[in-house]
Amino acid sequence: MNDSVVILSIASAIVASTPILFAALGEIITNRSGVMNLGIEGMMLMGAVIGFWAGNTTGSLIVAIIIGGLGGVALALIHAVLAVTLRVDQTVSGLSLVIVGSGFSSFIGTSGEPSLLSARNGVDVTPLFPSALRDLPAIGPILFGHDLVVYLGVIAVITATYVLNRTAVGLALRAVGEDPASADAAGISVTKMRYIATAIGGFGAGAGGAYLTVAIVGTWQNGLTAGIGWIAVALVILAGWRPWLALIGALAFGGLNGLGFTLQLAQVNVPSDFLKMMPFIAAYLVVIAVSASPNRARRLAAPAALAQPYSREAR
Amino acid sequence: MRNRLRVMPRGVTGPEVRFGVPLGALAFALLLGAIILAFAGNDPIEAYRTMFDSSLNGWKAQSRTLALATPLILTGLAAAVAFQMRVYNIGGEGQLYLGAIGASWVGLALPASTPTPLMLSAMLIVGALAGACWALLAAIPKAYFNADEIITTLMLNFIALSLMNWLIFGSRSFWRDPRRPVPGGKRLPESAIMPSISGRLHIGIIIAIVAAIFLWWLLRKTSWGFQIRTIGDSPRAARYAGMSVRRKTMAVLALSGALAAIAGVSEVSGVTKGLEPIALTSNIGFTGIIVAVVARSNPLGVVPVSIFLAAIATSGSRLQSIGIDVEVVFLLQGLIFLTVTAGEFFVTNTVSLAHPDTSATGSPPTSEIKAAI
Repeated sequence: MNDSVVILSIASAIVASTPILFAALGEIITNRSGVMNLGIEGMMLMGAVIGFWAGNTTGSLIVAIIIGGLGGVALALIHAVLAVTLRVDQTVSGLSLVIVGSGFSSFIGTSGEPSLLSARNGVDVTPLFPSALRDLPAIGPILFGHDLVVYLGVIAVITATYVLNRTAVGLALRAVGEDPASADAAGISVTKMRYIATAIGGFGAGAGGAYLTVAIVGTWQNGLTAGIGWIAVALVILAGWRPWLALIGALAFGGLNGLGFTLQLAQVNVPSDFLKMMPFIAAYLVVIAVSASPNRARRLAAPAALAQPYSREAR
Repeated sequence: MRNRLRVMPRGVTGPEVRFGVPLGALAFALLLGAIILAFAGNDPIEAYRTMFDSSLNGWKAQSRTLALATPLILTGLAAAVAFQMRVYNIGGEGQLYLGAIGASWVGLALPASTPTPLMLSAMLIVGALAGACWALLAAIPKAYFNADEIITTLMLNFIALSLMNWLIFGSRSFWRDPRRPVPGGKRLPESAIMPSISGRLHIGIIIAIVAAIFLWWLLRKTSWGFQIRTIGDSPRAARYAGMSVRRKTMAVLALSGALAAIAGVSEVSGVTKGLEPIALTSNIGFTGIIVAVVARSNPLGVVPVSIFLAAIATSGSRLQSIGIDVEVVFLLQGLIFLTVTAGEFFVTNTVSLAHPDTSATGSPPTSEIKAAI
């Protein structure tokens, strides 16, 4: 029963959704502070290449994820300097991260001795739970069949929801994203808050990228993320900047990513190029649907000061 | 003692600032690149000399650089015209593919005996229309529902890429040459190929430069262009003055898509001579965005910036002979994008040292960045 197409494809969707979830969750936190960072794709690539290297060197999944996350933070801090301190156009700054991240990751990936391009994955990804739980019918592979990082994703959603909505720090972060002038008057450092939130976003994207190389793909190739970072950007809009909805959305996109695998198992023949298109068509339609939605609350869920640089003098 | 940097907005931005800051940023990016190369164990001076020799030294190298600059000028213009209205067309890549698909369809469908001028005109028109329509898929939702064009144009890139791959690798389509063992496009007839000027350089460069001049005229000398720039500066003011923001959004994105598509036509007709997905997916659309940012969206600035970035890109393959990976090209492009973006701050602001004893007096309060100097 645990070999059935449905169960295997749900389990694979959960794994495929994890990098998207980490990246989207990080971006939600960044956006909630009023900073738009379109550089997810670049930060993911940075995390992917550095995390893969760290995984190969140490053999540890969790070290790979953390080091990969820090690779994302490094790029995110560049964005923070440009967008928060220098107050340049956040769209342009974010796009520059994509190009820097893809260029730098390719450079790191090829230039190492030996090159990471030919390296085999040195991390053994093991399930967290014992086989007694994993062999339970249906719920075994779906709920207990994954590695530690998948569960960390769920914990991160719970933590993010709690911190954003129930703590003083979360309130301060949201205040900075909604009305930075008032937050500033209330004694909150807008700059500090935005730097921290941008760094957290970088960590999420970098960790997601590292999970992608180390636990899913198992090799490094130039431009390996192939648009997953952009799917995460779209997902943030779709989720209305709420972590719980991002979890559900990530599962949907993970399912679409794994659709080829599912159909292959079910012996349905669809050209692979159309399968590759599916998540992007879905994201395209969803972004339009959200924008056209008559539900104003949904459309206005964006933080009020999103992508607006804050300058004390320009109030 | 801790000094502070004093930041003040510039009143008037003179040409020395508008040109000087991006040039300074370019130099700074090359310096950063040299440091990274040195860290990676290479000789940066040798690397830059090789890059210069293989891209700008002598007509042969120059013509190779100009050949690569041709599509970059067009995708750069595509991004620049949209930036003028503060619309972000990140979809140059996909629009380029559609232009290539459309043009190669015309080239293969019309009889091979069609006179070249007629054939090339038809390819340009159909290619440009295909790209414009592809851009409208993002422009219409933007105009009517304010759907974020950055995301929609990007998603359309990936869709267009898969579509093009499917035509050649995934199906027995009209474009695919069934006789070739490795999947590839049917070769275009001689009449559908842009005449060569010298080696790889073809008349596409003339089309690109004419497009740059036309766009400069359109944006600077016509009331349509004035309206576009007004909408870019202040959509609310533009609407108040009775301009149709909705219609202009669609027109500008369609024009932008058409320009990017012409880059695809030029590549397919002048370089690949058939629909060849691998050769066409060399980031020309994305690099166009860097071009537009470095050129500060000025259509005439796009030409020299494209040539400069093309020079870096052409020299990449030559770098391998001295043991440096081609990837350094992307690294340099990224660094240039980054430093020029940061440079924008110095275009709009002046930064000077403010001594603690003098900062109390003088001009009205300005924002100060803490710096331990």
